Amino acid sequence: MNMARLSHSAALILKALSLGYCFGLDVMEATGLPSGTVYPALRRLERDELVESKWEPEEEATAKQRPARRYYEVTREGKAAALAATQRYPLLAHLVPEKRS
Amino acid sequence: MTPVGALALPWFDRNLLRAVEKIVPADDRAEWSRTWRAELWHMHHRARRAKNLGITIDLSIGLICDALWLRTDRWGRALHGTPTLCLGSIAGLCLLATLFELALNGSWRAFEHSSRGQFERSLFAAVLVIFVSFATASRGHIDQGSTSKGICGLKRQMFFAAKSALVLLLAFLLSTDICRPIHALFPNTADALQLLMFVPFALLGLRWAFGDQERRCKQCLRSLAGPARVGRPSHNLLEWNGTELACKQGHGLLSVPEMETSWCDSSRWVELNPAWE
Repeated sequence: MNMARLSHSAALILKALSLGYCFGLDVMEATGLPSGTVYPALRRLERDELVESKWEPEEEATAKQRPARRYYEVTREGKAAALAATQRYPLLAHLVPEKRS
Repeated sequence: MTPVGALALPWFDRNLLRAVEKIVPADDRAEWSRTWRAELWHMHHRARRAKNLGITIDLSIGLICDALWLRTDRWGRALHGTPTLCLGSIAGLCLLATLFELALNGSWRAFEHSSRGQFERSLFAAVLVIFVSFATASRGHIDQGSTSKGICGLKRQMFFAAKSALVLLLAFLLSTDICRPIHALFPNTADALQLLMFVPFALLGLRWAFGDQERRCKQCLRSLAGPARVGRPSHNLLEWNGTELACKQGHGLLSVPEMETSWCDSSRWVELNPAWE
């Protein structure tokens, strides 16, 4: 993965994901970026193997009477990229709040 | 099992999903639809967002952007390195240059009138440029083994002819675009300058066309990928030293020597056994 090609918004989204915001809506809320930026960026990050997407277990969602959601996890390469992005954009760490568990 | 009614989406969302999913490539459609049904459902069922029209509109834009991204990414992957993309890109540049020329001239008639003489002179210069380009071009693109015959060979020659013609046209349009602003004040100087600019543009363009042709698969005409260094420079006269490029479709390998030697003076196209594909 070429780090030079990671845009500021992609770095922000990667940072949000590495802080535990794993759904598209949560990432939008945490970063303040519009959905037209967040969802295509998630696709690009997944194509570049910096994040991977999985589906929630169907049983878990059914038990809570809601549809299963697609969530995103940062890969090992993604973690390295997020770290490099934080070093490159030091203010990035302050832009996304830590997710409360 | 979750009751169907509990997971239902509002009318607007359902219809938007139905309309936009046609943009998404067919094999991604089911997963895309499932993803967005879940996202929209969760948006509507978050109490603090229930009456937020802004987020509904924003998410609708995201949904459309996501579908468009999937479609353009698919097109991008399908067209990457293809002769269609190559010819389309040069034709697009020609169109842009023509539109710029039209904007400078004001009308098609004025453009036609002012460019006729320049076109005739450039056509004459183009013959000389083609002759010089063929005389000085690397012969590597000709050493293509058995693929130089038959339909493959014909297709390749047609592609090269079309590419060269478009490159020459682009060189002409660029040179006229650059000289047009001074044409009204100094018509003779502008004409001479246009011809002087056309020649290097055309030479560079044809040089690129030869190089591009050499670095394409001899069967499918896609750009070769994955350049790999083979050998060591210090062994140049003893063994193979150069770069190898491969066709992504598995048709063959192109070996480009680092320097011309008596035993290896041109690029070599090595066809792979079709049984390996």
